[in-house]
Amino acid sequence: MASVVLSEAEKVYIVHGVQEDLRVDGRSCEDYRSVEVETDVVSNTSGSARVKLGHTDILVGVKAEMGTPKLEKPNEGYLEFFVDCSANATPEFEGRGGDDLGTEIANTLYRIFNNKSSVDLKSLCISPREHCWILYVDVLLLECGGNLFDAISIAVKAALFNTRIPRVRVLEDEEGSKDIELSDDPYDCIRLSVENVPCIVTLCKIGYRHVVDATLQEEACSLASLLVSVTSKGVVTCMRKVGKGSLDPESIFEMMETSKRVGKVLHTSLQSILHKEESLGPKRQKVGFLG
Amino acid sequence: MLKSKTFLKKTRAGGVMKIVREHYLRDDIGCGAPGCAACGGAHGGPALEPLPQDPASSLWPRPHYLLPDTNVLLHQIDVLEDPAIRNVIVLQTVLQEVRNRSAPVYKRIRDVTNNQEKHFYTFTNEHHRETYVEQEQGENANDRNDRAIRVAAKWYNEHLKKMSAENQLQVIFITNDRKNKEKAVEEGIPAFTCEEYVKSLTANPELIDRLACLSEEGKEIESGKIIFSEHLPLSKLQQGIKSGIYLQGTFRASRENYLEATVWIHGDTEENKEIILQGLKHLNRAVHEDIVAVELFPKSQWVAPSSVVLQDEGQNEDDVEKEEEREQMLKTAVNEKMLKPTGRVVGIIKRNWRPYCGMLSKSDIKESRRHLFTPADKRIPRIRIETRQASTLEGRRIIVAIDGWPRNSRYPNGHFVKNLGDVGEKETETEVLLLEHDVPHQPFSQAVLSFLPKMPWSITEKDMKNREDLRHLCVCSVDPPGCTDIDDALHCRELKNGNLEVGVHIADVSHFIRPGNALDQESARRGTTVYLCEKRIDMVPELLSSNLCSLRCNVDRLAFSCIWEMNHNAEILKTRFTKSVINSKASLTYAEAQMRIDSATVNDDITISLRGLNKLAKILKKGRIEKGALTLSSPEIRFHMDSETHDPIDLQTKELRETNSMVEEFMLLANISVAKKIHEEFSEHALLRKHPAPPPSNYEILVKAAKSKNLEIKTDTAKSLAQSLDQAESPAFPYLNTLLRILATRCMMQAVYFCSGMDNDFHHYGLASPIYTHFTSPIRRYADIIVHRLLAVAIGADCTYPELTDKHKLADICKNLNFRHKMAQYAQRASVAFHTQLFFKSKGIVSEEAYILFVRKNAIVVLIPKYGLEGTVFFEEKDKPKPHLIYDDEIPSLKIEGIVFHVFDKVKVKIMLDSSNLQHQKIRMALVEPQIPGISIPTDSSNADLNEPEKKKKKLEK
Amino acid sequence: MAGLELLSDQGYRVDGRRARELRKIQARMGVFAQADGSAYIEQGNTKALAVVYGVPRGIGGVRSRALPDRALVNCQYSSATFSTGERKRRPHGDRKSCEMGLQLRQTFEAAILTQLHPRSQIDIYVQVLQADGGTYAACVNAATLAVLDAGIPMRDFVCACSAGFVEGTALADLSHVEEAAGGPQLALALLPASGQIALLEMDARLHEDHLEQVLEAAAQAARDVHTLLDHVVRQHVREASILLGD
Repeated sequence: MASVVLSEAEKVYIVHGVQEDLRVDGRSCEDYRSVEVETDVVSNTSGSARVKLGHTDILVGVKAEMGTPKLEKPNEGYLEFFVDCSANATPEFEGRGGDDLGTEIANTLYRIFNNKSSVDLKSLCISPREHCWILYVDVLLLECGGNLFDAISIAVKAALFNTRIPRVRVLEDEEGSKDIELSDDPYDCIRLSVENVPCIVTLCKIGYRHVVDATLQEEACSLASLLVSVTSKGVVTCMRKVGKGSLDPESIFEMMETSKRVGKVLHTSLQSILHKEESLGPKRQKVGFLG
Repeated sequence: MLKSKTFLKKTRAGGVMKIVREHYLRDDIGCGAPGCAACGGAHGGPALEPLPQDPASSLWPRPHYLLPDTNVLLHQIDVLEDPAIRNVIVLQTVLQEVRNRSAPVYKRIRDVTNNQEKHFYTFTNEHHRETYVEQEQGENANDRNDRAIRVAAKWYNEHLKKMSAENQLQVIFITNDRKNKEKAVEEGIPAFTCEEYVKSLTANPELIDRLACLSEEGKEIESGKIIFSEHLPLSKLQQGIKSGIYLQGTFRASRENYLEATVWIHGDTEENKEIILQGLKHLNRAVHEDIVAVELFPKSQWVAPSSVVLQDEGQNEDDVEKEEEREQMLKTAVNEKMLKPTGRVVGIIKRNWRPYCGMLSKSDIKESRRHLFTPADKRIPRIRIETRQASTLEGRRIIVAIDGWPRNSRYPNGHFVKNLGDVGEKETETEVLLLEHDVPHQPFSQAVLSFLPKMPWSITEKDMKNREDLRHLCVCSVDPPGCTDIDDALHCRELKNGNLEVGVHIADVSHFIRPGNALDQESARRGTTVYLCEKRIDMVPELLSSNLCSLRCNVDRLAFSCIWEMNHNAEILKTRFTKSVINSKASLTYAEAQMRIDSATVNDDITISLRGLNKLAKILKKGRIEKGALTLSSPEIRFHMDSETHDPIDLQTKELRETNSMVEEFMLLANISVAKKIHEEFSEHALLRKHPAPPPSNYEILVKAAKSKNLEIKTDTAKSLAQSLDQAESPAFPYLNTLLRILATRCMMQAVYFCSGMDNDFHHYGLASPIYTHFTSPIRRYADIIVHRLLAVAIGADCTYPELTDKHKLADICKNLNFRHKMAQYAQRASVAFHTQLFFKSKGIVSEEAYILFVRKNAIVVLIPKYGLEGTVFFEEKDKPKPHLIYDDEIPSLKIEGIVFHVFDKVKVKIMLDSSNLQHQKIRMALVEPQIPGISIPTDSSNADLNEPEKKKKKLEK
Repeated sequence: MAGLELLSDQGYRVDGRRARELRKIQARMGVFAQADGSAYIEQGNTKALAVVYGVPRGIGGVRSRALPDRALVNCQYSSATFSTGERKRRPHGDRKSCEMGLQLRQTFEAAILTQLHPRSQIDIYVQVLQADGGTYAACVNAATLAVLDAGIPMRDFVCACSAGFVEGTALADLSHVEEAAGGPQLALALLPASGQIALLEMDARLHEDHLEQVLEAAAQAARDVHTLLDHVVRQHVREASILLGD
């Protein structure tokens, strides 16, 4: 992972600040940096979103492709995650340098979506055992300024919100053979409900306290952190400890409580931004990377 | 710069891929009206007239432009092509839709647009800032296009108002869609149906006949009872074909029986390749050549192809019951083996309608405007048309196009397109046979002619680039008399080293016809010059074919030369190709050339050259025959025309001289040399010609026939065939060898053009050459032009272009050329047949000696050597008692009332013209010798009592 | 169904442009803060990002491939998995990406004054976000801006554009549909001030007689691109100086 090298004095300065609930950039421990979200930035995808969280810059593209359902879940579609840690973020990622981190993040995403409630996978089924939609969720890491997991989960949620899947009809004739027909009206499409899509809240243990949305510098001071995926209703769907340090059980409960609290707020503001953007419709001036 | 342009994008979901395309809107697209202050009017190219005067419409007397929608363009193209219709705005939306739906109409509309006099203007409305519309929610693509057309029409009207208020120039929207018209009127756009508008053109009443009569969907159900079952929609058909419940194939109507047809199933299924359809309802409105979907019946309902000849004579609509009766007739008892897969048409995948030639069968009701039209091609159903000029059209050959075939109609509906002239007139009949064989024969359009070199033409410095000056060589041409398109010339001279230099010089047509321009496209479309008996349909305009490209004597001409260095044994030591300038010293006929060679006293340069060539040619020919090249024979007829009336006054077979074969030999050699060169240079996209070896079964008839005369024909290789044909002589019967060669010709396959990258069998069977192409006649064959271009690129004399090196495009060209050549051949035969008829019409009835070529179950096919004429003598006829016939397939022989006919038997036949069917006159032959009572006719019987004996006989038998 | 008509009789291309017109170009420099230089460009629907990590890197350490007399230029091309119509499986490392990287490297070795920074390495990473034809050109143009943003001295701008040939007419700046039609296409990178060519590549067969026309179309298009890029750079510098001034 992209990292910075800090001197001992710098570390002490950060740790002491956190102790006092005053972080280097002026935030308190439970504050997020300002998040910029924009959807529909890549027009040839089914859905896309770009999220900027401080210096962390994430682009997510969702492509819907037709495929066959998995054997064990014949009447469901499925999601595929791929995370590309591009060399744009740091030269360390050049070549295959970013593959390990990418796989790690992708696996985390698989895990937080691996429950029935997050996305209605049944709506992705076209005809049981034969055709279903596969949503390829491709994450592109453009710049990393700490707290990758949270930013990526926000971007994934926004991109899924933005995803429009063309409506297809299955025509069946007397002989039982099936044919897929696509609607020629570009407005005729399925939307996914992202109501229950969780976001990740990462809590970094710095000293004796924990902070949300750590910057690169703060991450360098932290020994261990906890990833908690929270839905908009505050339900924890998944949890994972990362980092080389250790956590005591008590602080884990404390961190979970924080994550629920922070997560709810995060979801609410994300929803409101997405709906606001949606209501502007096609008249919205797209900014993308030009702004 | 593009900065001012608004940027929009269009998404299109095709398959499951989301495709995003940019779509730029512009504000610099002109409205096409010259002098328009707002947009500067047109930007070059065809434009509208500033103040259109005619046609005066009673509906809209003020000046106006027309703006038709897609369906009007598709269906009423005949009306739009009429010179009376001018000043039409063709929207890009409309043009694109037409392009997707019908390539022929698209081509026609493009031709019209290019005609300056028609003042058609194509308005790029999809890229105009003010006329672009986006598909709205819940709107399908068709509705969007309709709306786009209306928006454009409205824009035009507002735009033209700005231009000048006083002349009130307006755009009239022409649509046959009722809803669209209503919407347009609501939006304040003057809109009419095509019919309304055309009827209002009081000055041009004849236009009404050209209107396609399309009954509206709704109306159709109300009147009359429904005869046919509904056609399934395309999506259903495709689905059905995919799942195998329906089969897709080409509909081929029967020539003999209008209630029967076969469908050739596409793809390579082994079984059920051919499906029989019987009865009007099962044919279900399919027309010959349509691509249809058929449903196969269970085996219990299979039928056998009927042997009954049935012609549609119905005039009345209501005799459907009678049809059913007739259909019953077809179902004769047959044995199980004869049963063939049977089915019915469930839907049409693609119509392949074209304009049809034929004649009007005037309605019995005097005042009726509805008449039936009987096409010349018996496979096409009769067509109902509406016309006011029935009495003038009677007895004329006319062209009619089909517009549609409603479910309640016994016949398809169509409209009158063109009057060709009186039946039996030479011009009319020629026109008919050209049309029926799809030979493009219209005069060259202005666009095509504009690419001709400007006269007076001379060779410039630029032309001499990459070109050798060979004017000093003693070149001459040898052709049939009266030939004006001379595309080859030859020379031969001795070199200092004792070897011979032989040059074949071919007209450099590709110098004048540059790839991609209108001239090139037209030549490519025509593919070949078509020679009819009294007329030549040029592939390239006359200026080229008979002047600039023709290698006439004593003028400088551009040529493409193939020059060999040979030793005296005609072995090629060196081959080179070059573009050149030549100056032919003499244009000789075969006879003249022969005379020079033969007369020992003449010793000028030309003659010496000719003798050299002749000597070499003989060696070459010998070598070729040794390799197994076939010398085949087909009776070629040549008419002696009356110089004034151009009527044929005598018929004779063509005569061949040594010089014919001399020229031929060098042309073959040049073709082979060029084929090698271009294939070497372009292994993937050389245009070559191959002649596949026929399958052994083809020879059966030849072997059997020879056997009956105690001769053996070996057919295992071309060489053994050639040898055994040479040996098959009978001293008592000198003509036998020719007859055998004629039969052998019939066994051959058709030689075809192909692209080297798409095939791996290059062999030319007839010429026994491993590779072959056509290089020597670029004036009359398009294939040669392509070959010239390839060769020019290969030697660096000319530049290439993308299509030349695209093997798929080349394969398409080959496909068209093969089709055109076949059609040209058919047209030529038809022309010969027509002239033969004219000849016998004037000559009256004659009796001639003939040889039997084939023996059929109920007839013999005979050849009359004197005229090279082939005909069938039938022994079974309608309304006559059947004679006792025994047919033996093994020997081929036919025994009639005790007399046996073998192949090659000599008979005597009477030739006469049968004009009982005005549209299909034909030569009829009747047996004179040997005499068979009741079958043959007496030698001395005159025309009048031709049928007398039979009639008497009939009575007696009863 | 008839194939697409790439150039209508009226002289318009599929997307409404005329033969020699470019697509709409928008660009921005300094997109990312952490990189030494970065830029983003849109050429129609083709969108590309470029970042430059520059001069002091690469001395010693594992990545040392440093050259004694000049800077090493290292380029990586990658294309987002969702950038193309059909999803790509790998963003980089495939044959085409490697080739692109190599081409970019050649292009920029010709333009950057590498001898000014011996024993150092310049990393140029380009990322295509959306591909709609002319990706090479967009990458070069983006990378030029990013290199400029990083303040690395160059001989000149490198401006690239593609061109094709349809029915005897040269088309500038091909879109994906036009590329997919399979005609000849030419990619050209130009140093506009001197008119020197930094990279020239052509696919498919084209007769040399037509080459001049196509080359001229591409060169003119590249010069137009230069005008635009120059404008972007000046704008960026103006904004930056205002910020500094405050």
